[in-house]
Amino acid sequence: MIRTIWALMQKEFHQVIRDRIMLRLIFVAPLIQLLLLGYTANTDVKLIYTAFYDFDQSELSREYIRSFTVGDYFVRRTSDIPLVEATKGFKENKFNAVMVIPVDFSKNIQWGKPGKVGFMVDGTNANSASIALGYANIITSQFNQRVSGFASPVSLGGKILYNPEAKSVYFMVPGIVATLLTVITMMLTCMAIVREREIGTLEQLMVTPITTPALLLGKIIPFALIGFLEMSIALAFGIIWFKIPFVGSWPLLYGLSFLFLFTTLGVGIFISTVVKTQQQAMFFSWFFSLFALMTSGFFTPIANIPKSIQYLTYINPLRYFMKIVRGIIMKGASLDALYPEVAAMVIFGLVVFSFSWIRFSKRVK
Amino acid sequence: MSSVEVAHLNKTYGSLRAVKDFNFSAREGEILALVGPDGAGKTSIFRAICGLIEYDSGEIRIAGYDTSREFEKIKPLLGYMPQTFSLYPDLSVEENLYFYAGIFGLKRHQFNEKKKLLYQFSGLEPFHNRRAAALSGGMKQKLALSCALIHDPSVLMLDEPTTGVDPLSRRQFWDILKHLKKDGSTIVVSTPYMDEVALSDRAILVHQGTKLAEGTPDELIRLFSGRVYLAKVQPTTERMEKLEKIQGIISRRFGSSIHIYPRLDMTKDDFYGQLELAGIGPDIIEPVSPDLEDIFIQLMGD
Repeated sequence: MIRTIWALMQKEFHQVIRDRIMLRLIFVAPLIQLLLLGYTANTDVKLIYTAFYDFDQSELSREYIRSFTVGDYFVRRTSDIPLVEATKGFKENKFNAVMVIPVDFSKNIQWGKPGKVGFMVDGTNANSASIALGYANIITSQFNQRVSGFASPVSLGGKILYNPEAKSVYFMVPGIVATLLTVITMMLTCMAIVREREIGTLEQLMVTPITTPALLLGKIIPFALIGFLEMSIALAFGIIWFKIPFVGSWPLLYGLSFLFLFTTLGVGIFISTVVKTQQQAMFFSWFFSLFALMTSGFFTPIANIPKSIQYLTYINPLRYFMKIVRGIIMKGASLDALYPEVAAMVIFGLVVFSFSWIRFSKRVK
Repeated sequence: MSSVEVAHLNKTYGSLRAVKDFNFSAREGEILALVGPDGAGKTSIFRAICGLIEYDSGEIRIAGYDTSREFEKIKPLLGYMPQTFSLYPDLSVEENLYFYAGIFGLKRHQFNEKKKLLYQFSGLEPFHNRRAAALSGGMKQKLALSCALIHDPSVLMLDEPTTGVDPLSRRQFWDILKHLKKDGSTIVVSTPYMDEVALSDRAILVHQGTKLAEGTPDELIRLFSGRVYLAKVQPTTERMEKLEKIQGIISRRFGSSIHIYPRLDMTKDDFYGQLELAGIGPDIIEPVSPDLEDIFIQLMGD
């Protein structure tokens, strides 16, 4: 049995190494993906180009503006566009925000009345707009304290934990690692089985004394190993290149990844039992990956997804694994803390893997 | 004791009866050929024997074991070569052999010994590093046979191993088979080529899922009950159409000439007269001894 599995594994590795295009697809593409996503899927909001229309032109209004421009977030954009045509500036991307300080700003404040300021943000990207608005609020309340000399009734001492600079790359790389492991193990397993059926060698194998468990193990172990290798490369790259702080436990991460593989390999085997050609297998895997990715919280927090669709995310194994990977890497989460996700992984793994295993065994008989 | 016994085998695909109450047996040290055109049901019979399809009814035994109940015991004894080339195209000749050796549990030194032997008869040694995909049709079939032989099977099931292979390679392939049967192997081979019947020990002519005839090549030739004539003219389409219209004769292309079979009750004068009308004079017609294809055509016509 072990000799048979070993023979299959060797053959599988030979085939992977032989296929130059596949080899590049497996090892180079993910790194490019990592690099691209690490830089482009950037939700950090910095450099908000702002046009300030100061009609008050007082000491106070200038100080207010200065409190914005001293930080990293707001950059002053001088604009000769009249205020009434400010929308033109947004359209031409001259600036992303406009602040209007009316003539009675400082007078109102001196008289104890609220100094009203207009602030408009380009909402094309809703996410960065709300972040910009948030920054503006914070700066304004700090300014209020300074001017009035009184402390506001409530003063919020905010601090962002685990990712104090709110760098999105810290968040994206663990997500990419989880995604890679899913796609690679599922797709490669599925393709390897379907290819074998397509060229007719599966039938040939059925006439040999090979047992179904040996056949399946020989098929999935190589791709599980490749999955782990890729995950390690991506992690190393993330840590060395993007300087991701890895605060958790390596054994725990790999242990739980191993657990997760039962689900992805199971899905791969399942797809191989329902499709006939490699193209169909490719399409099926792509569809599954897309679903898994969209509802995993990789790009958008699950809480932002409409309630009715949120229920769908519960049947997505990647959702749990995403939380596990991010939890371990960023927060150093322990097994106790991840208990619900681990339980979900166990259930998914058991159900999906055994179901696919049985289905595959029946199909080859 | 026969190594392969098939009794009352039936297989249908929907409303199509691919195999109808088929019986045969193959003995040790014998090459049995199943001959018939495409769609005759040969592959279905092979796949049923190799446990790859379920059949409707019948009994198949290999080395005395019932294939439906004791197939695990049969697997180590059975070498199967399917119709379509099914090796790993991206692996080299040697890697393909090594893989099957591993699947059958051969140890390294056993593999090396076996490999030497297989290279000897297949002549694949110079190509051991070449990828299977880059082999010629004949070499592919030799490699496929080598893979099927890696575990010294006593029963070989070869489904159309020489289809699409050049004449020289076909000849070489049959030489290998003849060599193998000397070791006492049972070889069942299917083929669409009538001329390969003469190379087998026994043959079964298969048509539309039934057995038309069975016997040694000589016995089969003797089955032919009529006369056959060779007309030494080009079998042009026009000429063949003319011949087709003549009542009481059957004709077929035979290389660059024509084979003509008169009906048994046809008189010689009537036969020559009819042909003369079709533009084939008596001077270019001569009686010949029938070949196996003639027999096949006659049996199919009955």
